[in-house]
Amino acid sequence: MLGSYPKGAYASAKNVEGCPDGKLQAIWGLGNQLFAFSGSTPDTRSKGRPAENRVSSDICDVRWNTEMHTFITRKLVNETHNVFVMLQGQVASSTGSNLQSQMVMSSKQYRAILKACSMELMHMAETCEDSDERESCEDQLQIFEMIQLIWGFCQILFIEVTPDGLLLNQLLDWIKWHFTDGKRLAVDILHDEVPAEHPAYWEAIFRLLLQGEVDSVRKLLSLNNSNQNEAFLSVDELLRKMPQWAHYHHALSAAEFDMKWRHWRDECQRRLEEGHYAAFPNLETLVMVLCGDENVFTEMKDMCGSWYHLLVSKMLYQNPTVRAPDLHYHAEACMEEFSLSGTRIGELDNILLAAIQFDIHQVIKDSSAFLSTGSWWFVSHFTDLLHHCGQLDTQNLAYGSNLREFLLLEYASSLMSHKSLWQVGIDYLDYCSVFGRTYITQFINHMSLDNEKKAHKLLHICEERNMQEEVQTICKVMGMKSLRRGKLGAALSWFLRSRDVTATSKLTERLIMEYSKTGQFEYTDILDNLGPAMFLSNRLTFLVKYREFHKLYESGETNKAASLLLSLLEARLAPRTFWITLFKDATPLLESEKVIFNSGQTYVLMHCLEELRHELDAKTDISQKLTDMEKDKLDLLQLCLTRNLSKAIKAEGTVKTS
Amino acid sequence: MLATKAFPAAHEDLIHDIEYDFHGRRMATCSSDHTVKVWDCDENDQWQCTASWKAHNGSVWRVTWAHPEFGQVIATCSFDRTAAIWEELIGDQAKDGKTQWVRKTSLVDSRTSVTDVKFGPRHLGLQLATCSADCIVRIYEAQNVLNLSQWSLQYEIQCGITCSCLSWNPSLSRLHPMMIAVGSDDPSPATGGKVHIYEYSENSRKWKRVEIIPVSTEPVHDLAFAPNLGRLYHTLAVASKDLSIFSIKPLGKESLGSGGISKFEMHRVAEFSDHESQVWRLSWNVLGTVLSSSGDDGRVRLWKANYAGKWKCIQVINGNGQKISTTKDSKIVTVTSSNNQTQRIYQVHPV
Repeated sequence: MLGSYPKGAYASAKNVEGCPDGKLQAIWGLGNQLFAFSGSTPDTRSKGRPAENRVSSDICDVRWNTEMHTFITRKLVNETHNVFVMLQGQVASSTGSNLQSQMVMSSKQYRAILKACSMELMHMAETCEDSDERESCEDQLQIFEMIQLIWGFCQILFIEVTPDGLLLNQLLDWIKWHFTDGKRLAVDILHDEVPAEHPAYWEAIFRLLLQGEVDSVRKLLSLNNSNQNEAFLSVDELLRKMPQWAHYHHALSAAEFDMKWRHWRDECQRRLEEGHYAAFPNLETLVMVLCGDENVFTEMKDMCGSWYHLLVSKMLYQNPTVRAPDLHYHAEACMEEFSLSGTRIGELDNILLAAIQFDIHQVIKDSSAFLSTGSWWFVSHFTDLLHHCGQLDTQNLAYGSNLREFLLLEYASSLMSHKSLWQVGIDYLDYCSVFGRTYITQFINHMSLDNEKKAHKLLHICEERNMQEEVQTICKVMGMKSLRRGKLGAALSWFLRSRDVTATSKLTERLIMEYSKTGQFEYTDILDNLGPAMFLSNRLTFLVKYREFHKLYESGETNKAASLLLSLLEARLAPRTFWITLFKDATPLLESEKVIFNSGQTYVLMHCLEELRHELDAKTDISQKLTDMEKDKLDLLQLCLTRNLSKAIKAEGTVKTS
Repeated sequence: MLATKAFPAAHEDLIHDIEYDFHGRRMATCSSDHTVKVWDCDENDQWQCTASWKAHNGSVWRVTWAHPEFGQVIATCSFDRTAAIWEELIGDQAKDGKTQWVRKTSLVDSRTSVTDVKFGPRHLGLQLATCSADCIVRIYEAQNVLNLSQWSLQYEIQCGITCSCLSWNPSLSRLHPMMIAVGSDDPSPATGGKVHIYEYSENSRKWKRVEIIPVSTEPVHDLAFAPNLGRLYHTLAVASKDLSIFSIKPLGKESLGSGGISKFEMHRVAEFSDHESQVWRLSWNVLGTVLSSSGDDGRVRLWKANYAGKWKCIQVINGNGQKISTTKDSKIVTVTSSNNQTQRIYQVHPV
C-alpha cells in the first residue's frame, strides 16, 4: 500500500470555523491530490485590512488512493492489461467465428485472473492482523465475487452464445461454480463414519440435485441404509436414465432431446403417482423435483439461496431446452418467490435482471453506478469485450465518442497517478481512437521528470507515437533542469535534442564566455561528438570548430589550424566579442618562423581587424566591452600582421632553389 | 481511501492562493503578509519550504507558475497595484536546500489593486494576463523568452466592470483562437452579467468581447476554464453565490466586415447550490473531468460528469480534509434478494 500517510499521523488543521475571515479553498494537484486551506479572497473595495492577530491556517494535503493501487489489484491490472492488448490485436486481425472463439477465450482469461486475485485476497484477509485492513479486503472480495457472478452470467448470454440458443448447461456450470455449499456438504458427509445419519444428509442430496449433479446424488443415495429397498433402486434407475444434454453433445436436435426428456419425465410422474415412494417422504420429494413440480420448488428455495439459482434449477427440471429470450419470464416468477418472503431487491439483482432482459446498457449503467466506485476495471474491460462482440450501440455520445471509449478513458486516467501503472494507462489510451492521443499528450506534459530514466522512458513513448512536439518540450524542460543544477554539458545535449536554437545559442555563448575567462574547454567530449547537430546554432558550430582549431594546433598541424581559424573569422561565425581572442590565437602562428598565413590570408586578417577597429571607433556596444589593454593589443596585432605580410610576400616572391 | 496530512504554512497572515507547478512537485503560496513561499515535495512526499521572500508592499492575492520549459518562473499580483515576475536563480543550491528567487520585472500599469494574474497557455509563447479593480485586463508578452526582464504591454482590454478573476482557455487546439474569461465581483445588479468572455481576433489584432453570460448576475469570486482535451466545446465553471458550469460551443465565425467574431452556443449544464453559501474557489484536475469547489460552508466538493454529460457531486471533504459520505441513503445496501443465508452486505465507498 502507498503507506506514506500512516493513520492518525495527521495534525489537526486549524479549524475553519474558528477563523472568521477564513474561507475554505482547494486547489487541485496532479492526479488524486489537492490542497485545502482556509484563506481569503481579494476584496477589491477594501483599503487593505490591517492584520489583527490573524494567522495562516495549516495547509491540508489531501490524497486518495483507488483500490487499483494495492499490490494484489496491481497484479490484476498488469495481467489483464496483457489480455486486453491481445484482444485488441485479435479484433483487428480476425473475423467471424474465429473472432468469437477468441472473445470467449479472452473472457475466460479475464475471469481466471480475477479468480486468482480473489484467492489471494482471501488469503490476505485470513492472515491479516489489522482489522481495518481485513475489512477492506473482505469488502473488496465481495466486489470481486459479484463481478465474477455478473461476468459469468453475461458471458453466457452475450459472448459464448451457442448456435442453437440453448444455454442450460452453461447456466448449470455457472451455478455450480458460484454455489459450492452442496459439494462441501457432500464431502463432509462422505468422510463421516455413518454418512446416512449425518444431519445434513438429505440437505446435501437436495442441494446437489438442484444443481444437476446426478452422479453425486446417486452416490449419496447408495450410502443409505435402505439402499437395497425397491424405492431406492427405482429412484436410482430414474436418475441413471435422466437425459442430460451434455451426454448427447449436440448429436441430437433440440426437439429430439425434448422428446426424450418428456418421455423420461412422464415415467417419473407415473411412478410417483403410483406411490412407489410413499414409504420414504424424502424420496418422494426428490422425485417431485425430478417431475418439476411447482410447489416443491417453493419448498426448496432455501436450498437454492437465491432467485437465480432457483431459476436455473427450475429450468433444469421443467424446461431444459429453454432459450435465452424466454428466460426473463421465468426469472420474474423466481424473484417473486424471494421477494414474497420480505427480502428487498438489491443492486446485483437488478443487474442480472437487466442482463436477462438483454438490456446491456442498463447492465453497464448499473454496474458503473454500483461497482465502479472502487475502480473502473470491471466496467471498462467488460464493455470493451461486449463492444467487440457487437453487442453495444456504437453511436457517439454527447461528449464526443462512444461508451466504450468513455469507460476506457476513465480506467486509464485512474491509473495515471500511480508511479508505475501509468505506463499501463498509456497503453489503454492508445486504443481510444478519439480522445486517446490528447489524453496522452496532456498526461505526458504534466508528468514530473524526476530523473533521466523517466525522461527517456517518456521520450520513447512519445517517439513511438510520433509526438514530436512533446519530445521537444520534454527535452527543453530537461535542459532547463540541468541548467538549474549547473550541469551545462547535460543541458547542452538536451537543448540540442529539442532542436531549440535560441536556448542552444544562449548556452553556447555562456560556454564561450567561460572559455575566454578560464582558457579551458569543458565538456569536450560532448563537443567532439556532436556530428551534424552542431549546425543547429551558429554559435555552436563556431564553438565546435574552434575546439577543432585548438586540437589541430596542439597536434602541430599548423597550416590546417591556420586555415580553420581564418575561415572562422571570415564566415563571421564568432561573436564579435570573441574576435580578440581569435586574433590572440592567431598571434603565435603569425610570429612563427615559418610562413603559415600566406599573403592572401594575411590580407583577410587585416581586413577583419580593420572591421573590428571600425566598430570601436563607431563606439557601438562592443567598445564598452574592450578594455584599454585590449585596444593596445589590437595595435600590436596590426604590427604583427604587417610583419607577417612582409614575410609572406618575400616567401612567395622567392624562387625556390631545389 | 482518503489520506490527509496537514503541515503549517508558516505565513504570518491569511493565505490567498496556492498553486502547484506543472508537474505537481513544487508549489507556491502567497499571503497577506506580503510574502511568497515556494515549497518542494521531497522523496518522502513531505513538503519543504525552499524559498520565502517579501514580494510586494501589500497583500499578495495570486501566484501563478509558467511552463517549466521557460525555467522556474512565477508571477504574483498584489493589493499594491503591481504584478511581478520572479525567476529562480540558476546555480548551486545552498546546503539547506534553499534557493534564491529574483525579481525580473514589475508591471506597474494598474491604478488599483491587481486581483488576478495568469500565464497563458504554453503554445502561445510566454504571455501573462492581469486583471484589476480598475476594470482593465492587461496582456503582457515576453519579447525574448530567454531574457525575462523585458515584458511589453501588448493589449489592454476595457471590461467596463471591476474585475476579480480571470481564466485563459487552455485549449491545446490551434483551431481555437485565444480566449479569456473575466469575472467581476461588482455587487450591483445594474451592471449586468458578471462573466465576460473575450477572444483574440487575428484579423484585427485585437481582443474583442464575444459573450457576456447573462444568467451570471451575482458577484463572481472565481472562474476557470477546464482543460479541453479535444472536445468540441469549452467548459467554464463559475463560482459565485452558487456553482455553475457552462458549456460553450464555438459555432464558427460570423463575418462582420473586417473581422469575424466567433459565435457560440452557450448552455448552463449544471447549477449547484450544495454549498448553501458563497462558493469561493474552483479548481479543475489535469484532464478537465473533475472539478473541485470550495465554499463558505467549509467544505470542498468534487464534481464529475457521467458519460451522458450529467454532472453530480462525487465527494465531499470538510475543512480538516476528512471525507464525508455522499450517499444520503444508509451505508448498507442490499445486494441481492435471497434468503438471509446468503444475503450480502456491502458498504458504498465514494470515489
